[in-house]
Amino acid sequence: MDVLKQLLGRLHPLLVHLPIGFLIFGLLLQFLDRKKKTYTQLIPVAYFWGGLSAIAACITGYLQYLGEGYGFDTIKWHLWSGIATALFSFLMYFKLSGVKNFSFLTKVPIIMLSTIFFILISFTGHQGGNITHGEDYLVEPLPNSVKSALGIETFEAKEINLTEENWEAAQIYEDVIHPILNNKCVSCHNPKKAKGDLLLHTPDAILKGGENGEIINPKNASDSDLFVRMKLPMDDDNHMPPEGKTQPTKEDIKLVGAWIDTGNPFEGSIKNSGLNKELFSSFFSKKDNLDYPDIEITAASQDSIITIEKTGIHVDLISKSSNFLSVSCINKPDFTDADFEILLAIKSNIARLDIGNTKVSDNIFKKIALLPNLTILKLDNTSISGKNIKEIANLKNLKTINLTATNFEREHISKFSDFPSLQNIYLYKSNIKTQEIKTLNKGQISIDYGGYELPTLPTDSIVY
Amino acid sequence: MKDLIDKLIQEKLAREAEAKTRRHFIKNCAQGIGGLALSSIFAGCDPLTTAPKKTQAAFSERDLNPLATLAPPYSSKVKSVIYLHMAGAPSQLEMFDYKPELQKFDGQDCPQSLLEGKKFAFIKGTPKLMGPQAKFKQEGESGNWVSDYMPHFKKVVDEVAFLKAVHTDQFNHGPAQLFMHTGSARLGRPSIGSWATYGLGSANQNLPGFVVLTSGGNTPDAGKSVWGSGFLPSVYQGVQCRSKGDPVLYIKDPDGVTRDLKKSTIDAINKINKQEYLKYADPEILARINQYEMAYRMQIAVPEVMNINNEPENIKQMFGVEPGKESFANNCLLARKLVEDGVRFVQLFDWGWDTHGNVRSGSIDMGLRNKCREIDRPITALLLDLKQRGLLDETLVVWGGEFGRTPMQENRGNKKMAYKGRDHHGDAFTMWMAGGGIKKGACHGKTDDIGFSGIEGKVSVHDVHATILQQLGFDHEEFTYEFQGRNFRLTDVEGEVIKEILA
Repeated sequence: MDVLKQLLGRLHPLLVHLPIGFLIFGLLLQFLDRKKKTYTQLIPVAYFWGGLSAIAACITGYLQYLGEGYGFDTIKWHLWSGIATALFSFLMYFKLSGVKNFSFLTKVPIIMLSTIFFILISFTGHQGGNITHGEDYLVEPLPNSVKSALGIETFEAKEINLTEENWEAAQIYEDVIHPILNNKCVSCHNPKKAKGDLLLHTPDAILKGGENGEIINPKNASDSDLFVRMKLPMDDDNHMPPEGKTQPTKEDIKLVGAWIDTGNPFEGSIKNSGLNKELFSSFFSKKDNLDYPDIEITAASQDSIITIEKTGIHVDLISKSSNFLSVSCINKPDFTDADFEILLAIKSNIARLDIGNTKVSDNIFKKIALLPNLTILKLDNTSISGKNIKEIANLKNLKTINLTATNFEREHISKFSDFPSLQNIYLYKSNIKTQEIKTLNKGQISIDYGGYELPTLPTDSIVY
Repeated sequence: MKDLIDKLIQEKLAREAEAKTRRHFIKNCAQGIGGLALSSIFAGCDPLTTAPKKTQAAFSERDLNPLATLAPPYSSKVKSVIYLHMAGAPSQLEMFDYKPELQKFDGQDCPQSLLEGKKFAFIKGTPKLMGPQAKFKQEGESGNWVSDYMPHFKKVVDEVAFLKAVHTDQFNHGPAQLFMHTGSARLGRPSIGSWATYGLGSANQNLPGFVVLTSGGNTPDAGKSVWGSGFLPSVYQGVQCRSKGDPVLYIKDPDGVTRDLKKSTIDAINKINKQEYLKYADPEILARINQYEMAYRMQIAVPEVMNINNEPENIKQMFGVEPGKESFANNCLLARKLVEDGVRFVQLFDWGWDTHGNVRSGSIDMGLRNKCREIDRPITALLLDLKQRGLLDETLVVWGGEFGRTPMQENRGNKKMAYKGRDHHGDAFTMWMAGGGIKKGACHGKTDDIGFSGIEGKVSVHDVHATILQQLGFDHEEFTYEFQGRNFRLTDVEGEVIKEILA
């Protein structure tokens, strides 16, 4: 029986569309009927069936309420307005089919009844929608300016921007605690909603507390509701934020606790608060650049990438959060200068280019020069001599160039001093015999000629 | 004749029924119903011909090639990992963790306070402390300690970052090795290399993404599970290659089978597989087709990359290789070659570090010296060779054992042992990392005066894993795989990135 109840309950979202359809259809017929009375007989039929299906919707709706564990407060408006709609349908039916007992209604103009009815149906439907999709479902896509004009509460997540460099100078409340509370708590604890009479959007409001009194006991986090309620296990009724809302991370909670323990300062920097760096390190923006240019670029077209990959050239995103690409010819040893053309479709995205072990020649530099964001260039195990290396001196992001096992010649080394960002040059097994130039540009560029040796030591041959 | 045909038909039906597993059945039902619905909407479209096409479009590259590369969530310098594991557990007290105070207590009874509540594998009663058997010096600009057991290593000491206070909760080889490589002392979890290849794939389409090389005459006590894929698809397990004989068993074609014949065999198999695919639309079949083709390419590529004879003489000399033999030196050179060719994860195991003092080869003052000599030159050469090729920036090298060894001399059976030895000890031991993203010359963590426990900068095995994953571009807390109804992580519910050794 329970199964049947539950099943019927779950049919509610389907069934509700029947009365909506019938009743709106009836209203529409009434509208069309206002001058030429062509549909007069049909209108009560629509209301009759609308009323019947509305009763079915009410019953299944009630079953769903019982079976799915909704709180009565959540559904009460929908429930009562649903019942009202069902009753109203029959009222309309009786009035329009001219039943005598409803003669008291004759004085009320039909247009008024219809309008009230239309509003009632819309209201019921909207309430139902709010239950399934959430209260802000309909208005959520509106821009914030429109929302505030409509008087709908707007919510803007605040970012925590801490880095290895700035964390000490950052404001403890303004830059860290406030964004945490704002992003995880304020959507319910704000002047418009104020659940539990508690506001968490300003220092004063936080200190004031809510209906259960103060929420902070200075220097004692384990006796402060602000911390304790977040720390409670999810299944505890007193846990905050409630299930279904965005939860604070364990680092968030730990930090709020530490902040209370240190006397919940609202002013001053993190350094002044005396809190440990470890508490903040998880908030440090995962700086994603490492070596690659610190600019935003648009993603390369997927079509171009697929076309390039079909030729055997390997294309990878540097990371999922970056639009820069790493291009490698590891599976295409027969890559030649001419094959480079295809890469031009993604030229701005290429940050790492590995054309080592390929058949490229010194003419390739003219083309490499077209990759503005190139950071790492691998040309190892090619026949490059370096005579055109000057062509790529314009690459302002190029940091590493690998020329291991090439024919690179000594006379071209000095040309590297024109490279603005270059840091590492690998010239092991190149055509260079003397290694006197180890750095360029006052040490900014270091050259590794390799050729390391491990001379035999007397201990090498002692077996114990 | 009719009987025979009946029998064949029966057999065919039985085969087909076998091929239709429950999963296929359910899948087909779902597709069938979807197809029916579609066909009623788009009259004239035959659901049987449209269904497979639809699903085909939904496959990712990963379905077809499980080793297809994926971008890491966060950008990272590291493209490959070389993990050097000294199976048996090397003595940190004779290699990197210099404890002059311990020398003062040499021969004295170990204080009871240290022994209380501790479990040791063999130590009984009250053992005696044993001073360091090696001579130490501060080396390089970093001034980190290196013993005279590792005379070549001092040349690269400024490249590595030491972790002096790693601890584990296991004190027997098998479970400790499993813990070190899978994050759990019990069987069934994927190894680090499997996680890495699962998460990132591997660029070189002719080589496996995760290669394992062993030396020292034995494989690790924990068996192949230390490079197993656990609950991850088995394609991500380590492929064990050998430096002696055929690099992969049965890689050569049998006598009389030419390359062309092999090719046409594989083509024929794949043709049948393609027909099966058209019938069942199961992506596993496409993955299998891909695997056949990769195996065919590997037959050429693997022997090529595993051949160290073609390396120049000076490189062979620097590593101290012995072509044709199974040696750690050969494996180090191979590791460099593999990484150079884009292999994602290379795992080296060297067996023979279990220096209890029960035999000469397992003694702290003799056997251990021999083992150190066997790895000293190759490891140093490996770091230098990666460096000169510009590969060290993009490779993470990790060195360690499964635990450390006691500051006390082992007294198995409460008797004096034939040789000097140390028992298993998980409270504090040394590991190091070098390469991409690692702070050169760093030293994190400190042990007490006798090297018994960490007193500063203690890190757990989970922390080491979190750090390795971080260097590969993962947040170890976000990198999960759903299995048996929950998400699993390499670091389980623990682990913190060791930021102190990151550049």
